[in-house]
Amino acid sequence: MKFFNKVTVPVGEIHIIKDRCKGCGFCVEYCPRDVLELSDEFNTKGYHPPRVKDPGRCINCGLCEMLCPEFAIWSTLKEEREAVIEG
Amino acid sequence: MKADHRKKIGVFICHCGINIAGVVDVNKAREEIGRYPGVVHSEDYIYMCSDPGQNFVKEAIKEKKLDAVVIACCSPTLHETTFRRTVESVGMNPYQCEIANIREQCSWVHEDKKAATDKAMKITESVIEKLVLNESLFPVTVPVTRRALVIGGGIAGIQAALDIANAGYEVLLVEREPSIGGHMIQLSETFPTLDCAQCILTPRMVEVGHHPKVKLLTYSEIQEVSGYVGNFKVKILRKPRYVIEDKCNLCGECEKVCPIAAPCSFEGNLKVRKAIYIPFPQAIPATYTIDADKCPGFLPIACGKCAEVCEPKAIDFDMKLEIIEEEVGSIVVATGYELYPPKMIGEYGGGKYEDVIDGLQFERILSASGPTNGEVRRLSDGKVPKRVVFVSCVGSRDPENHFPYCSKICCMYTAKHAMLYKHRVPDGEAIVFYIDIRAGGKRYEEFVTRAQEEDKVLYIRGKVSKIFKDGDELVVMGADTLSGKQVEIRCDLVVLSMAMTPSKRIEETVKKLKIQMDEHGFLQEAHPKLRPVETLTAGFYLAGAGQAPKDIPDAVAQASGAASKVLDMFSKDELEHLPIVATVDEDLCSGCGVCVPLCPYEARVMEIRDGRKIAAVNEILCEGCGSCVSACPSGASQQRNLKDDQIINVVEVMLTDGKGEF
Repeated sequence: MKFFNKVTVPVGEIHIIKDRCKGCGFCVEYCPRDVLELSDEFNTKGYHPPRVKDPGRCINCGLCEMLCPEFAIWSTLKEEREAVIEG
Repeated sequence: MKADHRKKIGVFICHCGINIAGVVDVNKAREEIGRYPGVVHSEDYIYMCSDPGQNFVKEAIKEKKLDAVVIACCSPTLHETTFRRTVESVGMNPYQCEIANIREQCSWVHEDKKAATDKAMKITESVIEKLVLNESLFPVTVPVTRRALVIGGGIAGIQAALDIANAGYEVLLVEREPSIGGHMIQLSETFPTLDCAQCILTPRMVEVGHHPKVKLLTYSEIQEVSGYVGNFKVKILRKPRYVIEDKCNLCGECEKVCPIAAPCSFEGNLKVRKAIYIPFPQAIPATYTIDADKCPGFLPIACGKCAEVCEPKAIDFDMKLEIIEEEVGSIVVATGYELYPPKMIGEYGGGKYEDVIDGLQFERILSASGPTNGEVRRLSDGKVPKRVVFVSCVGSRDPENHFPYCSKICCMYTAKHAMLYKHRVPDGEAIVFYIDIRAGGKRYEEFVTRAQEEDKVLYIRGKVSKIFKDGDELVVMGADTLSGKQVEIRCDLVVLSMAMTPSKRIEETVKKLKIQMDEHGFLQEAHPKLRPVETLTAGFYLAGAGQAPKDIPDAVAQASGAASKVLDMFSKDELEHLPIVATVDEDLCSGCGVCVPLCPYEARVMEIRDGRKIAAVNEILCEGCGSCVSACPSGASQQRNLKDDQIINVVEVMLTDGKGEF
């Protein structure tokens, strides 16, 4: 959709320490932007760590970081960019 | 002939000029009716409803000590009240006066004088037979809560609320959106004076927002209405805005950090806003609102960036949906309109092309506070359009495909749009396609003429058949019916004057209110001419474009009309209700309950009395429709003064000859 004005929104970058993950799935379940999914790969503990499926949608809200029991995931601000609205 | 001789009856036959006397032999009718059992006085007069006519009735009642009177004249919908008041003034119970309709049901529909005279007598006799069993009735009275509810905070709702509040009564003003103002606050300038809509509306908004007698409930919806005229109980759902109104100081820091963007519906989706937003700077109440559908912050501790930067600590994610209960005596429904979506007209490319927009979007483009700060630009490339085509009657006056009705205001606002465009872009060209120009209103025709003559707006009489894109231009194909030629116009922007439709969610609200809608979903008035602000359900009044398409002056006038009806009600200590209601003979009622779901007014309820179930009637709610009476299998339910034996009397007279033979 096109608009007369432009607003910028933050885009987050997600960092995952795969080997710390124990596959609880909290980050996948509670991400308000539905950015994550559990991957097929195994980590050294034998769990499926999360994977970023839609990097552009992360708003750096930091919920995954708050929820992760193993301190295995966090986000940082990647850039501020023009909001795109589909539809 | 079996009239009860216990009542002394007077019969008064009206000539209604020649309306009745031209067909019915009133002299013969008077003489013969005078001999009918129970009739002790019969009289005819040229206009019974005139003062002398009414005086004859009064004199006869006094002299002959009449117990009941029949007036044989026009329909009871016209003069029943007149004559009931007449007899009441000389001490007779008004329900001992009945009307025999010998005009609409006889003289107006017959030519044969003899047959018509016989029929007029039959009708009169049948009414006599009903009347002998009439009881003297007294109005049902009910206390009144002197507090009003106004649904809808547009110009009509604001005006109604102010009028009621200024008269000293409390008003609840309920608005669904985060701010009051309605569609009027979206407008740039208003016809025919071209004064800025915000400049004239915001003072009213401020007044209603700060009025000590007005309780403003924005971001709220009506959930349930129960009770009856004078005594409504209303449940109002208050949606959480997650911002404490009194604490928010409009600093706007929250908006800067909010990571979610969404189209702004106030700006006709021409502008993007954040999930925390204020629809427009003069919003009342002056506060930001969080769009809960877009905000990620409701999960525990997610985001919350707005709350972090909010200095006055106005953001409260724990705010809950609240349901409040209020008691009111009357309700003004001012639910307003919406524009028919342009995407419904596929051949015009509405919703497909960015540069085919509707009237409200163009209002925003023209508005000094709009997305372009009043500069006329088009959305696709930001260019100033050098030729703009305005199409009127889009969806209106099109019974085959869309709506048969005229949306009333489009002729005027199209002229205004074209005029304002020419003021902003003097070297631009404005072209209007129209079916015909309907400029009925004070200084309206002059306004359209001014657009045509002073501002050189080109008017083409004809319909547009198709709009399509060619390069960065739009091509409008249509007919010029005055020259009889097909026309093809290349332009930069098209503004569609979309039909006005009732507010989308009106249907849900109307169902809760139990008021009527017309075939298009507009609110139904009680009478199209004589009761334009009332509904058929007592206690509900209408204002604004929810009832029919109308412009601002009409909406304001109707709102003041509705307010005056409310004040009329509040001026009384008790409300009176017609006593022609259903009754239940408790000894006959078997408690089957078949009447309860049939009642359209929820006036029938089951009660337990002496250990058994019986039906009861709430006389205030009963409108006397008779559904329950006809359905009652044991004959326990009867309507006052329309009891079964009265109706059988009437039918018997109508079906038998003078000797009682069928």
